[in-house]
Amino acid sequence: MGAPTPSAGRLANALVRENELVSGEIYRILLEAPELAQALHEGQFVNVSVGGEAKQLTRIPLSFTQVDEQEGTVELVYALIGPGTRQLSRVEKGETLSVLGPLGNGWNLSAPLHRVLLVSGGTGTAPIIAAAMALAKMGVDADVVVGARSSDLLWGIDALEAKVQGEVIAATDDGSAGEKGFASEPALALLAKHDYDLVLVCGPEPLMKVVSAKAISLGIACQVSLERTMACGFGACSTCAVKTVHAMKGACMDGPVFDASEVIFP
Amino acid sequence: MSASLAVNLGGIQMKNPLNTASGTFGFGWQFEGFYDVSCLGAITTKGCAKEAWPGNDQPRMADVYGGMINSVGLQNPGVRGLVEQCGSYLAELRERDCQVICQVAGHSIDDYVAAVELFEELAPFASGLEINISCPNIACGGIAMGSTPEGAAEVIRAVRPRTKRPLLVKMAPARVPEIAKALEAEGADALTLINSIPGMAIDVRTRRSKLSKPTGGLSGPLCHAIAVRMVWEASQAVSIPICGVGGVTSGEDVAEFILAGATAVSIGSQNLFEPDCAPRILAELEAWVAEQGVRDINDLRGALEC
Repeated sequence: MGAPTPSAGRLANALVRENELVSGEIYRILLEAPELAQALHEGQFVNVSVGGEAKQLTRIPLSFTQVDEQEGTVELVYALIGPGTRQLSRVEKGETLSVLGPLGNGWNLSAPLHRVLLVSGGTGTAPIIAAAMALAKMGVDADVVVGARSSDLLWGIDALEAKVQGEVIAATDDGSAGEKGFASEPALALLAKHDYDLVLVCGPEPLMKVVSAKAISLGIACQVSLERTMACGFGACSTCAVKTVHAMKGACMDGPVFDASEVIFP
Repeated sequence: MSASLAVNLGGIQMKNPLNTASGTFGFGWQFEGFYDVSCLGAITTKGCAKEAWPGNDQPRMADVYGGMINSVGLQNPGVRGLVEQCGSYLAELRERDCQVICQVAGHSIDDYVAAVELFEELAPFASGLEINISCPNIACGGIAMGSTPEGAAEVIRAVRPRTKRPLLVKMAPARVPEIAKALEAEGADALTLINSIPGMAIDVRTRRSKLSKPTGGLSGPLCHAIAVRMVWEASQAVSIPICGVGGVTSGEDVAEFILAGATAVSIGSQNLFEPDCAPRILAELEAWVAEQGVRDINDLRGALEC
């Protein structure tokens, strides 16, 4: 048996082109990183190092929404959730950041597809936008449900409406935008209404659990993108463990995208 | 002529003093995409037990000021899994002149003995075995056995006759001089210290631990000065070689350990934050040795003046 294959992730110093508030506590950062832009596949992630914050020595794992191969740019989205992301929000245009990527396995969009359901919540919308972009390029119809706690945290709707050939439904917990309630409700309604051949979900684990269980019960393939705290991103530290029906796996190397049927949700 | 960096860690001949801390370096191959791992004097692989362990629940890590805290709980594929998955890579790494130290985990003395016997049977590539009697994240074994001189001695007394290979012991950051003496008396060839420091991190909004368990192990730069002090204390107490571990981020940090009495030095969490740090740290170490004007790095070991 040969040696296992190391991560394809490589280190690069990326120039910050833009770093701005999108809505509520959600930011987008546009990085100039030509090799990364070439290598990234939708659903993969990158680990970003922020300097000058003693409470954040580990890299921050972030999903991308889109890459521009001509421009050599990568757009990442993050929420302000702690000292590390606060420090990241203070990084200015023209500075450089150490980025590590591409990391992990992204969405598998290789099967013949006709209509796909995309469901997201919070920053989980980032890899869902990346999937929507890829599906649009492939000419595949997609319906999208995007959830957030409230209207000020809802984001990505415009980008999705501009790209997808299908419905885009917003849902907020408090009803301040779109439908009132969790994203799972319109998602389950769509599953009952249309024939899908694939469902992709990224968001809070209860959302992924409910939507994937329904999809599986209907015999529809379902992939989920899982979030874990992690220290490395390339299989060395064993902190990002995911319980599966096969064995304990790692979100960084075996995921973050998993076939929902193998994941044991808490 | 550049100075010799070669050191002997309890019978493990290393071309330079740099090693990696178990648990921060996977099984070595994970870093081959970043640099040629064989530039290191040795690597230490993730602790493996006689059978695979699933490890602890999520979440397993959190960021803290100056480092991180983890509660992985020694998730490992077992000795057989290690050999099946990584045996050919580790054998090849040995051929590339990098020593391979395999860490041994257990929940009981019988576990440690069984794992050592499996390594003897299945892992000819192992340059030495490091017995982990100091993991803070498992319910039995680990630190529960290694935090007293009697408990630590009992483990080494049981495993020592089972292997002729160099036997290292990974020590907890507690009662260092007396436990070091007890381990030396039982025939340990070298000591590795310190393991991560038991700590806590609490989410004050949810009032929950940031880990799945109340406590975890602290690592990173925050540990460095504590580790240097403990290596110095151990070096005063015993004559067997010491591998210093704790918060190394630079060649200067390695040099501190050597001046405090360490023969070898492991890079730990920095491998995770900066995956290509080892060649940089090695170059910085070489520059320091040259600047000190010695022909052999061994002349600097324990050369602390105070």
